[in-house]
Amino acid sequence: MPPSRRPPPASRPGGPRPGVLLAPLLLLALQGVAAAAPAGAGGPEDTPGLQDAELQRGLLQQAARAALHFFNFRAGSPSALRVLAAVLEGRARVNPKKECQVDLVFTTDHYNPEAGEERLGKCSARVFFRNQKPRPAINVTCTRLIEKNKRQQEDYLLYTHMKQLKTPLDIVSIPDSHGHIDPSLRPIWDLAFLGSSYVMWEKTTQFLHYYMAQISSVNQWKTNDDAVDFDYTVLLHEFSTQEIIPCRIHLVWYPGKPLKVKYHCQELQMPEEASGTEESSAVAPTELNNS
Amino acid sequence: MKWILFFGALIGLSICGRKRFFGDQVFRINVRNGDEISKLSQLVNSDNLKLNVWKSPSTFGRPMDVLVPSVSLQPVKSFLKSQGLEYSVTIEDLQIYREMDSIAGDFPELASRVKIGHSFENRPMYVLKFSTAEGRRRRPAIWLNAGIHSREWISQATAIWTARKIVSDYGKDPAITSILEKMDIFLLPVANPDGYVYTQTQNRLWRKTRSHNPGSPCVGADPNRNWNASFAGEGASDNPCSEVYHGPHANSEVEVKSVVDFIQEHGDFKCFIDLHSYSQLLMYPYGYTVKKAADADELDKVARCAAKALASLSGTTYQVGPTCTTVYPASGSSIDWAYDNGIKYAFTFELRDTGHYGFLLPANQIIPTAEETWLGLKTIMEHVRDNLY
Repeated sequence: MPPSRRPPPASRPGGPRPGVLLAPLLLLALQGVAAAAPAGAGGPEDTPGLQDAELQRGLLQQAARAALHFFNFRAGSPSALRVLAAVLEGRARVNPKKECQVDLVFTTDHYNPEAGEERLGKCSARVFFRNQKPRPAINVTCTRLIEKNKRQQEDYLLYTHMKQLKTPLDIVSIPDSHGHIDPSLRPIWDLAFLGSSYVMWEKTTQFLHYYMAQISSVNQWKTNDDAVDFDYTVLLHEFSTQEIIPCRIHLVWYPGKPLKVKYHCQELQMPEEASGTEESSAVAPTELNNS
Repeated sequence: MKWILFFGALIGLSICGRKRFFGDQVFRINVRNGDEISKLSQLVNSDNLKLNVWKSPSTFGRPMDVLVPSVSLQPVKSFLKSQGLEYSVTIEDLQIYREMDSIAGDFPELASRVKIGHSFENRPMYVLKFSTAEGRRRRPAIWLNAGIHSREWISQATAIWTARKIVSDYGKDPAITSILEKMDIFLLPVANPDGYVYTQTQNRLWRKTRSHNPGSPCVGADPNRNWNASFAGEGASDNPCSEVYHGPHANSEVEVKSVVDFIQEHGDFKCFIDLHSYSQLLMYPYGYTVKKAADADELDKVARCAAKALASLSGTTYQVGPTCTTVYPASGSSIDWAYDNGIKYAFTFELRDTGHYGFLLPANQIIPTAEETWLGLKTIMEHVRDNLY
């Protein structure tokens, strides 16, 4: 890992959104050998700058994803989930114990974009990867998000929809094989994603990152006056190994209250199995409005 | 379901009568006596299940073949179980193979369906050959590879859409017309047929082939780690249970060997493009090393051009770069093999999306994805046409 330096903006991870500027990766390529020599691989035929820049970009995206999983979990709001739009800037520092601290700024989109909605949130984060150990330590603050009251209103609306759902225990998978999610089941997906965010944060390392591929079963769905009690199995897709990891997740949620999550994942390849429990503390991430 | 609309549009006039869609299954039901026949009639005649009898038994003891739409699978299975009727699930014809046949039939001067081998479970491997060459004259050629990882359904779907696009636009679109005046195009929409069937019947997220690994309970090898390019190097696993298991040796997977043999025998391929999902990336060699490929600068320029053309349609942004540093180290990959074997223009597309739906891309994104990808493919093919070596 190179010592701290400020690379130019990394390119956007992508997504079909017209009109968003793409920070040129070409700039990184042209930067050439300005940086210090990279650690590890490479012979004289390399362009150390380019390879280095690519690795840097990968690490920044990794950090952004981890920060967002953590942010989504802490916000505890299925109607206000965010996804990564673009990394704007960032730098990484490695200590002698090979632990890696990444400071970065990135933009976010709504997970469920509504028509005409183009509000990009902006987040700054410090992500501390602990040398291939999971559960990076994260500090993240985001701006320009849905105003708190509105968010709670929308969560409550979601909650009332959930209460009206017939117990969806006979559903085999969400989405189905063709990527279809019945609109009435969308709240289940969003809530499942919220719970999975906790799991994905905990499992992320500087080399491993996850996506939620499918809800493979709903084991229990209980709604009463003070909570949604949701027990489900989700299939996570780990990108660098391409493995599919089933995780059984049990969460309890009520609008405005901290999310409670327990989980157990089947690690098919590794000897140990990962499981965890969290009761989200009452501390919400600080939000700076309209900065 | 949107996939039904899509294939309805694709298949159109070319198939009369029955239509088949992804996820539909053919049940082979054993009928042993008159009682079972009447139970079955009950099932088949129920309006809401929309069953289609393909083969009626002429006598007892012969099975009845019934096409069951995917939405009716659960109730039909329950019914058969409750009535004690024995059945097995068969997939006689992959829908894509029938569409390929239809394309070749509709445009016999331009397209032909060629069998290049078979899969582990003995399914045919079919490519579509697009050629305007007189007789059997060999022209420099382009290889379009799809569906090598079976769960990446947008890949097979894009490929079959592209096949139809090529034949429809030849003679109308100057780009594809001029490309085909100089070169042949070979398109393999389902490079891993066993895996593909498995994703439809057993496990939607299956990636590998379905070959048996002696001594291991785990099935299959990663066909995109099985090529002879730094085989068993970094970015592959020697564990048969791994999703990136490289297999016992290079070309051990018959699906890979079939392509290798065909391309080598042909001897004049200039371009190899492999379609995958997901991540929205357009990459060139190498995956097996961080060393820069000799033609990396040119390939990078071409890829950026292609990504720009792709984005021009709906704004879908792709990242461009060499495989190893853009996605991850990967040894034994198809495009690395192609490149090291003299096929200079070797590219991998990782199609939509960037993780929201991942492998389970909704059907309403198939055509938009195929349309934008087509612009990228054409950009590459035009460059190849203008830079034949």
